[in-house]
Amino acid sequence: MTTVNNNNNHNTQVTNPTMTASKQPLPTAKSVDTQSVLKRLQSELMALMMGGDSGISAFPEEDNIFCWKGTITGSKDTVFEGTDYKLSFSFPTDYPFKPPKVKFETGCFHPNVDVYGNICLDILQDKWSSAYDVRTILLSIQSLLGEPNTSSPLNTQAASLWSNQEEYRKMVEKLYKPIP
Amino acid sequence: MTMDATSSVCNLAILESLDENLIGEILESWNGFCFTTESLLKGNGDLSFGSEFESHAQTLCKHGLESLVQEHFLRSLENTFEKNGASKFWRHFDPYSNVAVLDIDKDPIDEVEVQHVLCKALEELSLEKEYQEKYLLMLVHALQSFKDKESEGRQSSEAERVRLFSKYQLIMASVLMATLPRHFPDVLHWYFKGKLEELSSIMSRVCEDDNESQDKDDMDLDERSKLPCRTGDMDIDGCHHQRRFLENHKLVKNIGMVVRDLRSLGFTSMAEDAYASAIFMLLKAKVHDLAGDDFRSSVLESIKGWIQAVPLQFLYALLAYLGDSVNYDSPLSGLRSPLASYPSSCYPGMGVPSEGLVRWQLRLEYFAYETLQDLRIAKLFEIVVDYPDSSPAIEDLKQCLEYTGQHSKLVDSFISALRYRLLTAGASTYDILHQYISTIKALRTIDPAGIFLEAVGEPIREYLKGRKDTIKCIVTMLTDGTSGDPNGAGSTGDSLLEELNREEENQENTDDDDINTDDKQAWINAQRWEPDPAEADPLKGSRHRRKVDILGMIVGIIGSKDQLVNEYRVMLAEKLLNKSDYDIDSEIRTLELLKIHFGESSMQRCEIMLNDLIDSKRTNTNIKATINQPSQSGAELRDQGVSLDILNATIISSNFWPPIQDEALNIPGPMEQLLSDYGKRFTEIKTPRKLLWKKSLGTVKLELQFEDRALQFTVTPIHASIIMQFQDQPSWTSKNLAAAIGIPVDVLNRRIIFWISKGILADSLGVDTNDHTYTMVDAMVDAGKTGVNSGSCEELLVGDEDGERSVASVEDQLRKEMTVYEKFITGMLTNFGSTALDRIHNTLKMFCVADPPYDKSLQQLQSFLSGLVAEEKLELRDGMYILKKS
Repeated sequence: MTTVNNNNNHNTQVTNPTMTASKQPLPTAKSVDTQSVLKRLQSELMALMMGGDSGISAFPEEDNIFCWKGTITGSKDTVFEGTDYKLSFSFPTDYPFKPPKVKFETGCFHPNVDVYGNICLDILQDKWSSAYDVRTILLSIQSLLGEPNTSSPLNTQAASLWSNQEEYRKMVEKLYKPIP
Repeated sequence: MTMDATSSVCNLAILESLDENLIGEILESWNGFCFTTESLLKGNGDLSFGSEFESHAQTLCKHGLESLVQEHFLRSLENTFEKNGASKFWRHFDPYSNVAVLDIDKDPIDEVEVQHVLCKALEELSLEKEYQEKYLLMLVHALQSFKDKESEGRQSSEAERVRLFSKYQLIMASVLMATLPRHFPDVLHWYFKGKLEELSSIMSRVCEDDNESQDKDDMDLDERSKLPCRTGDMDIDGCHHQRRFLENHKLVKNIGMVVRDLRSLGFTSMAEDAYASAIFMLLKAKVHDLAGDDFRSSVLESIKGWIQAVPLQFLYALLAYLGDSVNYDSPLSGLRSPLASYPSSCYPGMGVPSEGLVRWQLRLEYFAYETLQDLRIAKLFEIVVDYPDSSPAIEDLKQCLEYTGQHSKLVDSFISALRYRLLTAGASTYDILHQYISTIKALRTIDPAGIFLEAVGEPIREYLKGRKDTIKCIVTMLTDGTSGDPNGAGSTGDSLLEELNREEENQENTDDDDINTDDKQAWINAQRWEPDPAEADPLKGSRHRRKVDILGMIVGIIGSKDQLVNEYRVMLAEKLLNKSDYDIDSEIRTLELLKIHFGESSMQRCEIMLNDLIDSKRTNTNIKATINQPSQSGAELRDQGVSLDILNATIISSNFWPPIQDEALNIPGPMEQLLSDYGKRFTEIKTPRKLLWKKSLGTVKLELQFEDRALQFTVTPIHASIIMQFQDQPSWTSKNLAAAIGIPVDVLNRRIIFWISKGILADSLGVDTNDHTYTMVDAMVDAGKTGVNSGSCEELLVGDEDGERSVASVEDQLRKEMTVYEKFITGMLTNFGSTALDRIHNTLKMFCVADPPYDKSLQQLQSFLSGLVAEEKLELRDGMYILKKS
């Protein structure tokens, strides 16, 4: 009958060289130096890029990692659906101990956004924590669009119109100037 | 009538002082003068009216009408000449007025006719002119005798004669010019062309005869050139030549006569143009004839020789015959042709050449250089294709270009030829690279500084950058001489690297002297300095730094040597992993050569790979030597017919190897046992190291024994595992078989095709449509298919059929890395809209500091972005990348 005969098996194997991976102790950041801010922002960027959240995005400007541009797309089933808004981020040198300055670059008809694009959002002011990062800020602003705080509005017209979602939607469409 | 008009104008001044008698006398003799003039001119040499004419003329002169007489006579001459001479003369050429130049060119009979007609016409016209000159002389005589009576000085009358004759010349020339038919210059051109061709053929016949009759080749030129100018002299064996050259001389004399006639008719420049253009045409034809499409021999010398032998001889004889500008006394050293490398032998027997002749020679040689240069430039592509064989043509071209300085013509023409013929989708990358290298080598001869090479190489480099397999081809060419060309054509069995190295060694040997450069040598070098050609780009460094470096130019295509080294590493890994012995001599040699060019440090990883192989060999022997001591497991193994002798392992330090593609695989039990035994032994020797087997890599030699035949194969471990399963169970469903071997079903289906194609397994669809059933083919049933393979023939499986490789290719690695950057690019474009390539590159460099950090070249990024554009993720508009809105 049939026999299968292995004559010569030539195989390849890999040795595992003994790794002497010495873990470096994390430097304790007592004084805020630019280098660590830089590192923090870079890792935030990396996380944001790899995170793949839809509808939010941000990227540092040309040669300054302290200034970012962001983009938010209005969430589905809100009056802002299908609109894109540009944001600007300006990080302080003692970030993340202080929050970044965030503004709307595109005009946004929203109870908590004034005509200059300033945003009234607690986490960007007194509720800031160094645990927040660019990604969480973007997500907060995105959800703020759909759920405004009408009790302390910056834009009273928008706040009063909010109850009438249909009219509000028309207003948003009317005032929306898409990014070129 | 004209004469009335003239007289009324001329007589005004003296009109008052005239009385009736005088007027009558004047009128009478005027009428008489007019009549005699007319009859004289009509009379064609009949001089019977001569005395009457003279007396009338004198009478008129007496009354101070001398200028009127002259004027009238010349006017009459002009009219007669126009009627009898010029119109008749031109009528000779009427038949040619409608014939296009090309037609005549092709018909030799017409040329002879043209010659004949021209000679006849010229003869007639000259005759006419001679007559008229005679009449003019009569007038001069009449005036002369009148003046003698008035006892005026003879000198002024001589001047008068010259003045009248030159005036006549002028009138005649202007009449001819005014009535010149447009085709006359062509007629002249044909005439000279025909004559020159005749002369040329006589010359070549002489040349042939000489070669046959006597072997004194070097004497030929001398003999030939001497003879036309010393007519009476007899040579010892010169009878033969003499006859030829008398004939030759007669021919030249004929031509000379025609030229002289033409000159006397005022066609000096036209005649010169005609014979010049005829000579140039002949020269051009000769150059084309000599040069042709054969690039294997140098033609420049023979062209120069021909110029010496034919046109210059002709011109020399012509100029000598016409009697002008052959000046034996003036040395003219300053005007001597700079090309005349052997001034003494250049004009044998002619003495010192006249200035005119030297000018002619310069003109002719320049023309020849230019013609040859244009010819060669037009064919430069072919010349480069033939390169080492066509080096004489390159050498010619180099000389031509040195003289004409039209390098830019070469660059433009060659680039367009390259674009049209080489840089097309149909040309294989190997061919393009070969041509590139040939171009470098060929142009290096013409332009050692490599300035034009840069311009020419640019489009090739740009094109090659766009090809995916460029790097691979380059590496193959560099390191592998025999398989560099897939067709096997032109492979010398020597890698390009070896060749480069040899060249470099040679260069070093010749440059040895430079090391001991002393002041004197430095001075000589300084004197030899030449400025860069005007086309040189000042940004690209000065000459001595620009020594053409083939390897550098090739690496320049890729962009950086790191990429080349990386590609080589992958190829080397592939090669080493597929080796079944540990013979790596040629790889070591290649590595050493690469080290010379790229430095030790960049080749370090490759060196470690080779060292792994060497170590593997040693370890392998060591393990086998120790394990073969009779032991329990060894005896057990031998019972199963499997011993460690059959196993050779390659042990690699994976950190230094390119990523290795690993597939899970269950190999047959005895083999598994063998591997673990081997591994144990290894750990014993090399504690604390352990072996991690890559079971899917390597090769297996196996023999299949059937009832009637035995087949040998060299296959991958997966193939071996598959067939091994059929040893105990002749039929498997694909699902079960895949589970038994531990590989996915689709991989199994793909791999098993090999065995099906060999006729060893058969494939049939099972109950489930997705489930195939594979059965061992009985030899008797499928005799037809296996009959071909019957007997113990060895099937060698080289590589994998689907191009599967054991090492991830550089592109795959790059692609993987690039997907990380894709997210960054998307983020960037989302927030900044359209962005240029440069900015994307810089931004990635600045912000993408992940692991691995962004380290790609602009080209790599560009090709990646084009990939994204092709996938419709991005859009490229005016050089800006835009995110495509989904």
